[in-house]
Amino acid sequence: MSRLHDMGGRFGDGSIPVPRDTDNEVTNSEPTFKYEWHAKAWAITLAAGALGEWNLDISRHYRECLPPKDYINFSYYEKWLAALTNLLIDKKLVSLDELKEYVSAAKNGTLTKFSDKDIKLDERTWLAKDVQKTLGWGGPSIRDTNVNPVFDIGDKVITQNHSPNKDFNGGHTRLPKYAMGRVGIIHSYNNNHVFPDKNAHGLGENPLPLYTVEFKSSELWGELAESQNDSILLDLWEPYLKLLPN
Amino acid sequence: MMIGKKNIDESDNHSHDHAHSHLPSDPELRVKAVETLLLNKGLIDSKTLDELIDTYENRIGPKNGAKVVAKAWVDPVYKKRLLNDATSAIRELSYQGRQGENMVVVENTPETHNVIVCTLCSCYPWPVLGIPPTWYKSDEYRSRTVREPRKVLLEFGLSLDPKVQIKVWDSTAEIRYLVLPMRPKGTENMDESELSELVTRNSMIGTGLPKEIK
Repeated sequence: MSRLHDMGGRFGDGSIPVPRDTDNEVTNSEPTFKYEWHAKAWAITLAAGALGEWNLDISRHYRECLPPKDYINFSYYEKWLAALTNLLIDKKLVSLDELKEYVSAAKNGTLTKFSDKDIKLDERTWLAKDVQKTLGWGGPSIRDTNVNPVFDIGDKVITQNHSPNKDFNGGHTRLPKYAMGRVGIIHSYNNNHVFPDKNAHGLGENPLPLYTVEFKSSELWGELAESQNDSILLDLWEPYLKLLPN
Repeated sequence: MMIGKKNIDESDNHSHDHAHSHLPSDPELRVKAVETLLLNKGLIDSKTLDELIDTYENRIGPKNGAKVVAKAWVDPVYKKRLLNDATSAIRELSYQGRQGENMVVVENTPETHNVIVCTLCSCYPWPVLGIPPTWYKSDEYRSRTVREPRKVLLEFGLSLDPKVQIKVWDSTAEIRYLVLPMRPKGTENMDESELSELVTRNSMIGTGLPKEIK
């Protein structure tokens, strides 16, 4: 993956697109989805995810694996749709020929949805009657394991420097670049969670201790820090961290 | 010679070793093609799509979070539970599940102001705030909030005293954060439901404050 998604601290981005009302006041009420196709891209991604062929970490990894040119050019939901398309093909839910056929029909204006009676639902398909129940369950990432946390609250730790993913060069990880090789303090221990660096590559859940680690703003940004008082807190898995003497 | 977009071949914009490079350039058409294919193969059901969209457009949103905040403002025992075990305390109000499986609530005080961001993607507490607004998912918010939160907050019209400590929480795992803003002055006589009307979405992300009493 390109790590273009890992943009914390990057320079060059302009003003936040804060929505304002007609009196130029910041508004808290935009539509949930700006365009119908945003809603559809989002909903088909959720519904296809419910088929159970991939997990949350894999779907994130697929978005991060879009070619750099596409990652930069695509809007948010275009990234979702592109990653979904690649997953559908890779997991063999859809063939490339089928995709090409539907794309060409869409371009020619001949796209036709079958009538409901002609559609045979797959046995894995997420049904409307189950939507609220499934949303209510969610997909917890906490796992009961006998793994005990190595670090205590208040311990001084340093994060991994290059390529935290030990199984794949450039593989998925949740340690952002801006916090690599930095010293922080264990703020809390949050139980054991599925480890994305493995789970995103289909290597199993490998639940490991997850900590919230506090970094002084000056540790991350040096002289650029806006205030010596400010801090940034990240949720980091144990393998990202090494103990330092206090 | 043609001027503008038309003389760019679609192949110029995509690398061809990915399936998604075969999709049409118009995003609306692109979604329609994939959606129709999945519907016709019976892999998704259109009623499920409608139910999902309706749920997050009309039922799950910042009004939920506002009720949690208002309850914490009027009920100190609830507030204690909320700060100790947010997932359970929020579940008491029947808000739970997807993208809110492990909740943590962080409290604003006169000394500390909390701000939530997800620099790696767009993690956001769906059961209490719904689907994130466009600005939360923007490159600008994701890149700048961890490095210059004070400048970012100014763009939201929020100017903090230099003595106030800012804590920025980057949602890098599956913990989802909600800010408990400070109760506005002059609201002593308001009840829970009136108070919940003062709680803005941005105040629960840390990019705003609750509405003031005029």
